[in-house]
Order: sequence, then C-alpha cells, then structure tokens
Amino acid sequence: MRLRMLLFCAAVSAVAIGKPITVPVVYYRLPNGLKVVISESHAAPTVTVAVYYGVGFRVEPKGRTGFAHLFEHMMFQGSANVKKMEHAKIVESNGGNLNGSTRLDFTNYYETLPSDRVETALWLESDRMRSLDVSEENLKNQKNVVSEEVRVNVLNQPYALFEWLDIWQNANQNWFNAHNFYGDLRDIEAAKLDEVRQFFKTYYAPNNAALAIAGDVNPDAVRAMVEKYFGDIPLQSVPERPDVSEPQQTKEIRLKQTDKLASVPALALGYHLPDQNSADYAPMVLLDLILQGDESSRFYQRLVKEKAISIDWSGGINFELGNEFDYDGPMLLVSRTTYKPGHSGDEILKEVDAIVLQVQQQGVTKKELTDAKVRFRSNFYDQLESTMGKAHLLATFALFHDDPAQINKVLDTIDAVTLDQVQSVARKYLVPENRTAIDRVPEKKEAK
Amino acid sequence: MRRFAHALLLALCVPAFGEQKTPPPPSPPRPIPWPAVTEKKLDNGLTVVMAPLASVPKITTELTFLAGRGTEYRTHPGVAQLAGRVLTEGTNGRTSRQLKEELRAIGGSMSVSVDDDATTITASALSEFSPQLFDLLGDVARHPAYAKSEVALARSNFASEIEEERSTPDFVAEEQLDKAIFGRHPYAFVVPEPTEIEKVTPEQLKAFAAARYVPNNAHLIVVGDFDPAAVYNQAQKAFGSWERRPLAAEATSLPTRRDKRQIYFVDRPSSVQSTIAIGALAMPRQSPDYMSLRTAHMIYGGAFYSRLTLNIREAKGYTYSPYSQVNLRRRSGSFSANAAVRNEVTGPTILEMLYELDRMRVAPVTKEELDAAKTYSIGGLSLELESQAGMASRINSIYTYDLARDFLQMFQTRLDALTPDDIQKAAAKYFDTYRGAIVVVGDYGQVKDQIAPFGDVVVVKH
Repeated sequence: MRLRMLLFCAAVSAVAIGKPITVPVVYYRLPNGLKVVISESHAAPTVTVAVYYGVGFRVEPKGRTGFAHLFEHMMFQGSANVKKMEHAKIVESNGGNLNGSTRLDFTNYYETLPSDRVETALWLESDRMRSLDVSEENLKNQKNVVSEEVRVNVLNQPYALFEWLDIWQNANQNWFNAHNFYGDLRDIEAAKLDEVRQFFKTYYAPNNAALAIAGDVNPDAVRAMVEKYFGDIPLQSVPERPDVSEPQQTKEIRLKQTDKLASVPALALGYHLPDQNSADYAPMVLLDLILQGDESSRFYQRLVKEKAISIDWSGGINFELGNEFDYDGPMLLVSRTTYKPGHSGDEILKEVDAIVLQVQQQGVTKKELTDAKVRFRSNFYDQLESTMGKAHLLATFALFHDDPAQINKVLDTIDAVTLDQVQSVARKYLVPENRTAIDRVPEKKEAK
Repeated sequence: MRRFAHALLLALCVPAFGEQKTPPPPSPPRPIPWPAVTEKKLDNGLTVVMAPLASVPKITTELTFLAGRGTEYRTHPGVAQLAGRVLTEGTNGRTSRQLKEELRAIGGSMSVSVDDDATTITASALSEFSPQLFDLLGDVARHPAYAKSEVALARSNFASEIEEERSTPDFVAEEQLDKAIFGRHPYAFVVPEPTEIEKVTPEQLKAFAAARYVPNNAHLIVVGDFDPAAVYNQAQKAFGSWERRPLAAEATSLPTRRDKRQIYFVDRPSSVQSTIAIGALAMPRQSPDYMSLRTAHMIYGGAFYSRLTLNIREAKGYTYSPYSQVNLRRRSGSFSANAAVRNEVTGPTILEMLYELDRMRVAPVTKEELDAAKTYSIGGLSLELESQAGMASRINSIYTYDLARDFLQMFQTRLDALTPDDIQKAAAKYFDTYRGAIVVVGDYGQVKDQIAPFGDVVVVKH
C-alpha cells in the first residue's frame, strides 16, 4: 500500500503541472457600466446566458425579510415587450430551460438553450433589465406563490433548513447577516408594489450587473448582439453598500431546538471564516475538504464509521447556498449531521473538538493535503463542465472582483497551500469561541 | 468612487439603438450532433459502451446490473438495497476506508443506486486516473466483502434513513402512490420496514451479489475525455476474467389497473400544507406510446410553461412548484401529477388538477402547444448531453430498457410525427384518474371536509 501511495503522489503532481484547463475569457464593460463576460467552448451545441445583479438577500430592506427573493419572482411577471409567463414560453419553445435564484450577494436570471438561440435570450434579458411591468394583481399572485415556496421548503419540512436559516441567524450579530433570508410570511405579505418598483430602480441597473455568455458561440458575433440589446439601457446611481461586516465572535453559542416534524435528531454547526481575499482562505478551503469533503474525511470516518453516532455527514463553505467564491461578505463553514436517537449533539461536538485538536497539534498528513488538492481540482472541473456552471463562476468573479479571469488562477492558488498553513488556520478559526451549534431534536410525541 | 465615474458617463452616453419590441426571428432547427457511441461485448457477456465527451478532463462510468429493489422482496425485503449499499464498504482486498482514500487520491467518487429495475454503480475520476478507476470499479463489482461489521452498520443507518425519509411529505406521498398504483406487483415495493432490515444477513447479501452482480446481467457505460482503445483495455483488464453465471429468470408478472378511483389520506399532524399526488398506471418504457405520453406530460405539467403551472400557480397562486412525471420501467410504469399547497386550498387544487387532466383527455391540444413541446423536448435532450453524467445516464437507459440502439437518432423524427390526436389518445388512456389514485399527505383534521366531495377516503396512519 505504501508504495502505491507514493506512486499516486507522483501522478498527482504530474496532473497539477501537466494538464491545466484554461477557460477562454473575453471581458469588457459597456459604457453604461454593464460587465460582460464571454467564454467560447464547443464541447456541446449549447449556450447559457446569465445576468447577475449585485443584490442578494443579505442587504434586503429591514422589515422586509424575503423581499429580494420575492422581487426575483416579479422579474418573471412581465416587462415592456414580454408579458407575464411569456419569458418562460419563449425560452422553452426555443428548446431551452430557465430559472432565477436569490443568494446572499446576488440574484441571477439565466437560460440555457441550443446555441443558435443565443440572440433570443439576450433580447429577453435586456427587455427586463430595461423595464419591469408589474401590477397589484401579479404581486398578490407571487406573494402567494412565494409563501407556498417557504412552506414547501421550510415550514412543512423536518429540520426547516436549520443548517443555514437558523445557523446564520444565530451565529451573526449584524442584521444583514442575521435575518431570516427566506422571509417571514408576514413580511412577504406586507410587501407593496411601490417597493417592488423602487427596488428595481435602485438595484437592477446595468452598472450593478454582470452578463455572462458561455458556450458554443462566436465571441465577436455575441459582442455585437450585446451592444445592440444592452448598449442603450441607461445607468442609474446605485446606493453605497451598507456595512455588512460582522464583529468577532468571542463566546461559543449552543442552542437546542425541538422539531414537530422530524423523527430523528440532527446537529448543525458553523464557524466564522477568514475573508475570501486573505491568505488564510485557500488553506481553509483544503482543510474543509480534509475534514468533511468526502467519505474518507476525518469527520465522516470518525462520526459515521468508527463511533457510529452520525447517520450522515455533510457540510462546506457557503453550504447549500453556493460555493467558495460566489459571495461577498462574512461567511460560515457549516457542518450538518443527522444522528442516531439515544446519542446527543454534545457527544458529536466532543468528537469534532478531538479531531480538530489533533489537526491543531499535529497538522494533517502530506498525503491528505495532496489528495485534497486533487479532490478540489476534480470538484472544480465539475463546476466548469456545464455552460451554466462556467457562466456562474465567470459572472460572480466579474461581479465581486471585476476579474473573471480569476477562474484560471484558482487551481494555482490552491496548489500553493502548505501543510503549515493548514495547521495554522485550524488553530486560528476552528475554536469553540468561533462556533455556533444547534442541536435539533424531535418534539416528544404525546402518547396516543 | 467607481459609481461616481459611471454617473459622469450617464451624461455622455447617448442611446444608439431603440428597444426592440419583438423577439429576434428564430433560426431554422438544426440537427443535434449525437454522441459517437461504440458498443462492444466481452466474451463473458458484459456489454461495454463508450462515448467520448471532452467537456472536462474527467471520465464517468455507470455499471448497471438488472436487479431492482423489488428483487426477492417477498422473501428478503431490503436485500437488494442493502447489497447495493454495502458494495462500496470494502472488498476482499480493500477495507472501506482504503477504498475511499484511493478514490480521494484520483479525484474520484463512487455511489450505488437501486431503483425498480436495476442496481447501478456510478463512478467518476480525473481522466489521468482512469486505470485506477477501472481497477476500483472491477474490485467493488466482483469482490465485495460484506464484512459483518459493515453490514451491521449499514443496516442500522438504512433503518434510520427510512425513518428520516418518512418524515418528509414528498417521500410519504410517493411511497403511498406506488402502493396504490402497483398493488401486489414488485414495483409497489419502495423501502423495507426497519424491523425487516435487521433480519438481512451478510450471507444473504453475498448470495444476492453472486447471483445478480454478474457480467452477463450487466452493461458498462463510459463517457468522458479518454482514449477509447486505452479505456477498452482497462475495462477488459478489470472485467475480462469475470465468469458468467446462469441467471435466474426475470419475473414477468404485470400489475393490473385499479377498477375505480381511490383516495388515500396519510395523516401527518402539524402539516402546514397538503402534499397531493394524483396518479395512474401507465405502460412499460418500451411501449410505442412513449413519445406521445411523454409529450402529453410536457404540455400538462412537464415544463414551466405548462397548463398545470399556468393554472394553479400563475393564475391562482395555490402552489410554488407543481409538476407531473412519467416514470416508465421495464415491465410497467406510472404517470402522476403533484403539488404542495396551503391547507385552505386543498380541495380547490385537486379540482383544478383533475380538470386539467380531463381537459387533455377530451379536447385536442393546440398546434402551438404541441410545436412548443416538441422543440422543448429536443432542446432538453441536447442539454442533457452537455455533461458526462447526463450523457451516461441517457445512454444507459437505452440498455436498461432494451430500446432500439438508434433511439437518440430517431428521437426527433418520431417527435415530429406526433399530431394533436396522438396526444389526446395518450392522455385519454394514461391520464385516467377514474381508475387511478389520489394521495394526500397532510393534517387530516384540518382538511378532511375539503377531501370528502371527491369520494371515499382511506385514512392511512403516518
């Protein structure tokens, strides 16, 4: 076995140096401030057109939790030349699929289509960036739809997404990081048409957006289309971003919740992470993989296999919301586990602390680090595979860093991480004072 | 500061073009470039299918055995699912942990799924490591250890997972609907009871694997960025010496259609929504009605711009994500329409779902609807083929369901031939809820008065 491992290591470094992928990136700005990224690839005859607006649920208006997401729904209710539901009709009858989503720091709208239909998608997106046509009736309808979305994904589910909704609300102190991101039903109900129009005017400006086109296209041809459809959309003044920074946590937070719908207990925990631009970030990304990146990882092996307390183990950076790069502000490293009745969340935290202590004292092994780099590379390629995955990374790098070409530097940054750095970030960040944990147990059913 | 600069630009920027009021004219439809598939058969009967797709430098494989979760379910419920589950927990030469560490070292993943007809090991890795991937895949498929401790752990975790899944309304609705539609047929079996799992022994799992995980009962799909000659050699090395075995005959019984509609209510107190599933028996995947039923489903509830979404979401605001699904298998299949709605509108939603189903049965769809559904289907297929996993799964279905090898190539031709009359006939036949079932998972005390008008209700304890 040992010899085999050595051979693997040799092969790994050959991969790291030998076969990098380079994603073609054409990047520029229109005079109205719209960031445009075009990436040509011809593996499949498809294209994704994606518009990312620089506003997410983190900075939605106070007293209006869930508003950024409700607004996202209104973007499908019609614009000057596209009636309610016509957007979906046009995309699907051209052989494409579509969606939109609201995340911490952006809201995106995208369609993937056969690549000869790229112009149709650009026209559609330009129409709703230019104009939004909403009515009282449509707002009432979408308040209902969004309330059902909250019920189906949160209120009628066991655990109610506590691993992000509740962990974020309890781990953070700044309202922008600590409110109910999916939204309180009363806040959703209270939203007004004027507020919808104002939100559009405030944030949905070309100078607050990135447009990514990835796939089987000719960049020059696409560039002319972008100019044609987006060139004359006027820029707007966008307000300064509020202060979203988070004060240093100084004391561990532990909570217990009961769950009416669950039948098996679960635990979620979150640690505050270093800033994405700091030197500690890449080592943290690899440490996350070593601790919980797959079934060989330290948390999984100890809790699921050796101790047999946990039934499953999952987690990560920007867990259930995105990836290591697609956000702009304070972030948590989260773990979630469902565990066997008869055990307790405290038992799991004790094991977590023992595993972390070992890393803090002895570091991780050379092989673990090498393998984590391979694991990262493999996962990263998975993201680059679809035109949507690529468009997503390009748009968020453009939006948050004004530099989509970072997509081609990620692997080098990860490959440069050392054993000492991994040990050092374990000492700095994986401490109980930096952690919030919620133990969620089934409510005792009354005897029937 | 940057924003200030833009504000300055605003004054200088003169619109060069006016807004365009209509969508750009569509380009003529173009043929889809189908994957270049090579099919070979090893001497032991294993079918090896390779399709290059250089989307990223990775390789994806699916090794499928025709042994579904209902296999032996009457004598040993759960044996097929446990046998599949423990496959990746160690071989005669590797412990579970070694296996997972070796996968990690090649950027690999390996998982096993067991559905109605098949057990599939899906594995992927970076292209550079394809020899190691085949080595691991061959070892897992041919030499599973079924160690006592691993079987015990898997049994216990499987039982807890079932308990957990049964706390989610979607799973409960699906399980109840399958029981209602398939009756005493093996397709009615979804998961075993936790008490039954405890009885499955390592010996039973070994016997199951020896009888079912054999090359002449399997096909291997390989998609990705690779050299076909080299990969074929690796497959031969991993599987060539695997001995064929006589196969137990596949059960051929067929489920029968219900003779009348039945409502099942699964009482889940504290629910703030009713999770509704309305379904009926359909037909096997090989049926010539496949294209017409699939298209009827697209128009009814298989797309975002579909009748079901337009009605109960966009017009009425009852629900977030209504949908229909067609689940066709080797011997039979089902159709269902689904929605989760707030308690107060449970009755009105069922009324609209049934109305839209019957509307498909009594009146033809419009040409515009049909044309849109055709383009959506063909586009959807090319999007599926964009990724290695999507392509592998699409090719796999050809072998799992014994479809014509030119299924993909003929897809568009057969789609183009469909008329509104074909769609109506398929709907009339398969959207027949008068001989189907309505399942509602929710708080019975809160919504029972809304259910009563639809007929007799069997209340099932959650």
